[in-house]
Amino acid sequence: MKNFTWMIGGEAGFGIMTTGLAFAKIATRLGYHTFDYVEYPSLIRGGHNAYEVHVSEKELTYLAPTIDVLTCLNKETYEKHKSRLTIDSYVVYDDSEFEFEGEVRKISVPFKKIMAEFKGQAVMRNTIAMGATLAVIGTPLEVFIKVIEEQFSRKGEEVVNFNKQFAKAGYDHVINNNQNLTIKMTQRENVETKMVLTGNDAFALGAVIADCKFYCAYPMTPSSTVLTTLAAWGNKTGMVVRHAEDEISVVNTAIGSSFAGARSAVGTSGGGFALMVESLSFSGVTEIPLVVFLAQRPGPATGMPTWTEQGDLLFAVHSGHGEFPKIVLAPGTVEEMVEMTAHAFNLADVYQMPVVILSDMYLSEGHKSIAKNYIDKLITDYKVDRGALLESLPVDPQAQGKAKSFPRYKVTEDGISPRLIPGVPGYFYQANSYEHLEDGHTTEEAAPRIAQVDKRARKWLTYLTKDFQAPKVYGEIETAETVFVSWGSNKGAVLQTQKKLSESGHQTAFIHFTYMYPLDRKKVMDVFKHEKRYVLVENNSTGQFGKLLLAEVGIEIKEKILRYDGRALSAEYIISKLNK
Amino acid sequence: MATLQDFSGYNPTWCPGCGDFGIGLSVKQAFVQMGYDPSSLAVVFGIGCSGNMNDFLNAYAIHSLHGRSIPNAIGIKLANHKLPVVAIVGDGDCYGEGGNHLLHACRGNHDITVIVHDNGVYGLTTGQVAPTAEKGFKSKSTPAGIIETPINPLSFAITSGATFVAQSFAGDAAHLSMMIKEAISHKGFSLVNVLQPCVTFNKVNTYQYYLKHIYKLAADYDPSDFKSSVSKSLEMGEEKFPLGVVYKTERPVYHEQIDALHKDTLIKNKRFTDFDKIVGGFI
Repeated sequence: MKNFTWMIGGEAGFGIMTTGLAFAKIATRLGYHTFDYVEYPSLIRGGHNAYEVHVSEKELTYLAPTIDVLTCLNKETYEKHKSRLTIDSYVVYDDSEFEFEGEVRKISVPFKKIMAEFKGQAVMRNTIAMGATLAVIGTPLEVFIKVIEEQFSRKGEEVVNFNKQFAKAGYDHVINNNQNLTIKMTQRENVETKMVLTGNDAFALGAVIADCKFYCAYPMTPSSTVLTTLAAWGNKTGMVVRHAEDEISVVNTAIGSSFAGARSAVGTSGGGFALMVESLSFSGVTEIPLVVFLAQRPGPATGMPTWTEQGDLLFAVHSGHGEFPKIVLAPGTVEEMVEMTAHAFNLADVYQMPVVILSDMYLSEGHKSIAKNYIDKLITDYKVDRGALLESLPVDPQAQGKAKSFPRYKVTEDGISPRLIPGVPGYFYQANSYEHLEDGHTTEEAAPRIAQVDKRARKWLTYLTKDFQAPKVYGEIETAETVFVSWGSNKGAVLQTQKKLSESGHQTAFIHFTYMYPLDRKKVMDVFKHEKRYVLVENNSTGQFGKLLLAEVGIEIKEKILRYDGRALSAEYIISKLNK
Repeated sequence: MATLQDFSGYNPTWCPGCGDFGIGLSVKQAFVQMGYDPSSLAVVFGIGCSGNMNDFLNAYAIHSLHGRSIPNAIGIKLANHKLPVVAIVGDGDCYGEGGNHLLHACRGNHDITVIVHDNGVYGLTTGQVAPTAEKGFKSKSTPAGIIETPINPLSFAITSGATFVAQSFAGDAAHLSMMIKEAISHKGFSLVNVLQPCVTFNKVNTYQYYLKHIYKLAADYDPSDFKSSVSKSLEMGEEKFPLGVVYKTERPVYHEQIDALHKDTLIKNKRFTDFDKIVGGFI
């Protein structure tokens, strides 16, 4: 089967999201790979929602420029997306509701009539549409019937059967009235089990794998589904999830629980992160581990809440007043999100510092199918590393039964000091937001100040030596005519760009950064040792990573492809800008 | 058994005559009398003269940011609910910068104790007005007198859902340590508002002033009645400051309503490994 893209659109609030995800799961259950994305306005009712799923026999990391099957629950869907249709595209719609000019393959389905006949509720238009869509793409209805059974079985057979008749009516109408349908999405043989995950799901799963015990958040698009997913899992996983009164409380509750010994994380978007940054600095100086999930959306201020951008990289890098070490990571795909999230908890514990994981709307809310084996292996291989954490400590016999001060901020060669869980008998210490001595007491003296600043900074050096990962290179830099440099969620779009350009004989390489900050100058310089045409690709208006690369490594990339219209980068966009 | 000396850290740097000395002593007395040692509890300090007690009191502690002690305390409690958790904060810290946290901690009935140094001014930043100062109070930041009316910590906490609200006076260490002990023993969110003279920056609310305006609640006062507790707390607005437990009730505490914390503390819970239970939802 050739790759194809299906899109469903309709009014917000009527089940488009659920239907889109059900379609992605049907495709993966049949053995296909999927990559999807949702478009929706920042409101619950009345706006336009669209959900597109790209389907392939091979692994996918990008969206396609054209739509092969467009299922329109209203006229707006057709009007908004017609520019992506070709003469081979199918348009599923109800000609009693609207008609249109346009050279496509029209598949009219009487949604309105079927709804009236079976007395359906508004969301059941989706069920008719899905039935009709499956008929168009040559998929047997049975897979969908199974999804309906899973979804409604708890509500009883009557509800299951009621829903089934809508699916069947849509399906039958298309089969009975159309011939020569060209797409055949049928069951593939010998395929591995796949899972359909968003970047947010991936963060949630990674946190559970890492034995994160406490998650705290205040809802903010596009990070909110991490909160709702982890809360829904709470009864099973035993993770405590707190929806606090504001982001300042969020981060400080997590700092409290982390101080007490529980692996802790918070999640937000740019605006919420802005409220947290004073406390990020607090986590830095008290050396209390913290994982922060920052799902970016276009700012400034409220910006465009349901669209995508990579506008907060430098904000994350420089977040927090004063000078203290932190780590910033930016996974490029759903797989990398699971793996790097789980790793981030180890990094936070080992280096006793905040670790920020950057996502964005595109990665956070788009689904991708991934092999279940990959996740199973991650779960099996993952080792919790809590670094220098002490869960117990023998009582000092010389203390004669008195509690003794514990040197929490002991100056060490690698900068990492033993951390004792509060409550261990025989000891005490304070985690102090003021500059402090080795025992945590406040100091304003010059020598201990220098000793502590240097100690904290040495953790960075230790990290760069032991854990920093140089960017991955895709393609051969030596023979490449053009070398793309990008980071985070742009990975899929750039990989697809490389593939398209190679078809026309244009050889490229791609340097993809995920370990964003701090950068190891030597390791990065090594990747850039060839004289080449380097092109920076970023989803923001100022080329923030380019600035970081210049500041930290001394490499300046002059040629830039930047997108900041709220839409994700795509191969088509990058190629259209490349030769201008 | 720990002694007052075991809890004593550095020598305090408060101004001579500061009400903080009385509060510091009462806190230590309460801890000793409850049989704690510096290992057996967690204390979170805010920022201000009150928060500077961090260096004068030995305990597992966080010296937090200004206003953020309450969420830190809640986090500690959720991670290890077997540790008693006490937040020692100031009026600007808790009723100004961190007011939202107080409101929601009351609602949640988190099992923590908040001890507020209420002296009507910001001492550490040299005498600007605090949210508890009387209307018209002249300070460096309000030279013409403060326009706002004062916050009433007692009625605010009671009506927001706190299950233990008491008031005491820094000049009466015996009463104050009794209130602190009762507050820590109380299961649920407890607030102790401590009236405290600032000898350097508040020339109105002096020891003499407080001695004239405070009174101890009568022995037959019933702190369990919500409405009468609210009206009692409203006397604050008429410069009549009741000392004692103004309100006390029982309501399930936050952490006891979380299934995961029924068997053991969060930090003692075993790692979750039954991944099929959550992974299946993605197929």
